[in-house]
Amino acid sequence: MSFLEVKDLKVHFPSRGGILSKKIPPVRAVDGINLSIEEGQTYGLVGESGSGKTTTGRAIIGLNAITSGSVLFEGYDLAKGGRRSHLDVRRDIQMIFQDPYSSLNPKKRVLDIIAEPLRNFERLSPMEEKLRVQQLLEQVGMSPEMIYKYPHEFSGGQRQRIGIARAVALKPKLVIADEPVSALDVSVQAQVLNFMKDIQQEMKLTYLLISHDLGIIRHMCNHIGIMYKGRYVEQGTTADIFGNPQHIYTKRLITAIPNIDPLQRDKQHIYREAVREEYERAHDSYFDNEGFALPLKPITKTHLAALPERG
Amino acid sequence: MRKTYAEVPGVSIGSRSPSSWNILWRELVRDRLAFVSLLFLGIVILLVYGISFVLDQEQIVSIDLFALKKPPSAEHWLGTDYGGRDVFGQLIIGTRNSLSIGIIVTVLTGLIGVLIGLISGYFGGTVDNIFMRFVDFFMILPTLMIVIAFVTAVPKYNVVSFSLIMTAFLWMGIARLIRSKALQERELDYVQASKTLGSSHLKIMISQVLPNLSSIIIVTMTLNLAANIGLESGLSFLGFGFPESTPSLGTLVSYARDPQTLESRWWIWLPASVLILVLMLCINNVGQALKRATDARQRKG
Amino acid sequence: MWRTVARRMVIMIPQIFLLSILVFLMAKAMPGDALTGLLDPSIDPASLEAQRERLGLNNPWQVQYWDWITKAFQGDFGQSFRFKMPVSDLIGQRMMNTIWLSIVTLILTYLIAIPLGITSGRYNDTWADRFITGYTYLGFAAPLFIFALLMLWIFGFHFGWFPTGGSVEPGMKPGTLEYVLSKFYHLLLPALSMALITTVTTVQLLRSEIIDTKQKDFIVTARAKGASESRVYNRHILRNSLLPIAAFFGYEITGLIGGTVFIESIYSYPGMGELFLSSISLRDFSVVTALVLLYGAASIIGALISDITLSAVDPRIRIK
Repeated sequence: MSFLEVKDLKVHFPSRGGILSKKIPPVRAVDGINLSIEEGQTYGLVGESGSGKTTTGRAIIGLNAITSGSVLFEGYDLAKGGRRSHLDVRRDIQMIFQDPYSSLNPKKRVLDIIAEPLRNFERLSPMEEKLRVQQLLEQVGMSPEMIYKYPHEFSGGQRQRIGIARAVALKPKLVIADEPVSALDVSVQAQVLNFMKDIQQEMKLTYLLISHDLGIIRHMCNHIGIMYKGRYVEQGTTADIFGNPQHIYTKRLITAIPNIDPLQRDKQHIYREAVREEYERAHDSYFDNEGFALPLKPITKTHLAALPERG
Repeated sequence: MRKTYAEVPGVSIGSRSPSSWNILWRELVRDRLAFVSLLFLGIVILLVYGISFVLDQEQIVSIDLFALKKPPSAEHWLGTDYGGRDVFGQLIIGTRNSLSIGIIVTVLTGLIGVLIGLISGYFGGTVDNIFMRFVDFFMILPTLMIVIAFVTAVPKYNVVSFSLIMTAFLWMGIARLIRSKALQERELDYVQASKTLGSSHLKIMISQVLPNLSSIIIVTMTLNLAANIGLESGLSFLGFGFPESTPSLGTLVSYARDPQTLESRWWIWLPASVLILVLMLCINNVGQALKRATDARQRKG
Repeated sequence: MWRTVARRMVIMIPQIFLLSILVFLMAKAMPGDALTGLLDPSIDPASLEAQRERLGLNNPWQVQYWDWITKAFQGDFGQSFRFKMPVSDLIGQRMMNTIWLSIVTLILTYLIAIPLGITSGRYNDTWADRFITGYTYLGFAAPLFIFALLMLWIFGFHFGWFPTGGSVEPGMKPGTLEYVLSKFYHLLLPALSMALITTVTTVQLLRSEIIDTKQKDFIVTARAKGASESRVYNRHILRNSLLPIAAFFGYEITGLIGGTVFIESIYSYPGMGELFLSSISLRDFSVVTALVLLYGAASIIGALISDITLSAVDPRIRIK
């Protein structure tokens, strides 16, 4: 039994139709994906915007209603029942949000923001609570004297640290990080990512990292899933994906990573052109009539890709 | 405004940051017209509630046959009405009654409006749809006529039933406003974050979303207070407001519906009219200043 | 566009239905019924009861409601016991007076609002603008009934320039020029009192629209192309600023409904509002219910017009 196992997850959004307008087929944001994460590892979910990666994360934590499929977390099926069911299980899953500006309530002090989960699940005296918040602030590398400040007094990177402190306040097991650094300056991104790695070791966290940035994914993840229009196109270990990409979509994504070595420039360019040509030539055979990815096929034990039938 | 704080760390290190209340208050004091208005309102409220505490209300509203329709004198500063009742005393009591009912109705409509708007906007979807159809229906009612009709239809009519009737038909504006703001707030990540942190809907609505709506609620309620005082005195003017024994500012103005009083005994109705006008102007000044304070683009400094 | 209109019409039907139920139940709740005033008290209780039975006053309320609403839709609102005539005839007379009052008020509202709004917006931050803004500030706060009372006191009684009551000089023959002139003369002060207050929001709206439009890129472009100042204002700014004003026409109608009641009462102008107030004081409930229903219908239509004009002017607001 895996730590987190998602089976055939589907999230469909009904298109709005009124009294006088006819029914429109629903938007299939997530259309049947499977993934499993082992404890203590980092799983990366990659895709362009609109690929359904964020919706997948939000469905796992219960922010989006699940149309069908199951989300097994340590054996509990979170897809059954509403957001408020399995409350004691859900405290073990927390989330880091993309936008450090809107994810912190502007009217709340840092103390109240970080203490919110504690107040929901743990009965602490005000003194204990203050102490815990101060510890958490120190843990994320901020001065414990900041507890009476408001979010607008901090920089983006600091805000994201506050967001992380809030997410780990309950000592969760799984943390879903939805584009945790994409709203930050590039100079701060690495800082926050490395800090996330440190805290993962310290607290034995499991990460589901959602990002469009392959560089970040490669740096952080053990396993990777690549999504396109709500489906997986390829899945495997970091070595599988970056060393032996199978699907043309994956190949194009990887060739798009800029290379700073000038000596490799020509080689890189030729390779990129070759991939582009293959992509244009073989595009139709890799996707079905509606432009969705084909079913996954195993390549090795860990590596799956949505490849067309040979021959 | 907020940005400047983050950029000037010396101001705020170690101390608590200014809350939105402080910002509102500072803007209000800085706006000279609004500040004078607020001061005036404070004085009027103190005077009116203070004096009416001392005044013998029974004596003022009871008829004195020996002092009918007297012009202003040392004994009756603003003369007497057709029943020999002291106009100045009625003015004090009337102002107190008008202010009180204005405040009561504003608070009640505010409570209902915020509650319905918050629930409707926070949940959205079907809940919102049902609530808003309900609000739409109330919006199209000819409020004035319905209120008048209810005032006549209600048995055992008194001040409580009057304020309840007014409340029943005046909560929709603020409900709509709060709903549209709550719809915007619920899309923000901090609301989503609260959900993942295990807070209940009720907790999120009250302790997360509501504080972000506080300034708009204050502004709207201030402006509503002026409107409600206007409506109450209008209804009393038409004879469908307070019961006869409880004078309001509108009751005094309503004496002017008698052409003779209007034409030649201005001291009965003019002071009350001017007072209504000035009160509403002052409350509006305060409200507009608060509105400017909450809208960063319009702030004066 | 037509979809929007059709959709709004569909929403209107349950609104009117609900309104009629509310009005009916309200009339039921009022003390006394149609007979209390109709008959003199000396009549013996038994025949009174028989009368009630005959008029259907003992039926369950939904049966009575159905009776009332089907008749009402055919224009039959019963009898007014005070005037001893059908309610619809009574209201018909008064309605014309109120409609005239409303039309003249609306015309005056726009006649005042457009020049003031344009001056204030075009020359903003000048003395003229400050003066106009001051007026709108005062007018926004001033309750209509107090302002109207002051107008009546000053121009009606003190200066005696205008008549202080009625809708026409008594003894005039309908159809003659004098009759029409006298009607207009009687209308002028009430309509002006109302227009001076209602126009305030329109002036404010027009002013801020013009100030907003002035800073738009297409105005800068027009200036850069060398268009004259008057051309910039007449062709570009006005056209874009007046549209939103037109869209609020429907709201003006809704706003007039409450206003006319006060105005008619203060100027003893024989319109629907004045009839409403006197009927309710004398417990003439068949008139009251008919009037509330009519006012409700007017306000529903006002809301309908404003929604439709808004969606015609601004495609973003259209219901999808």
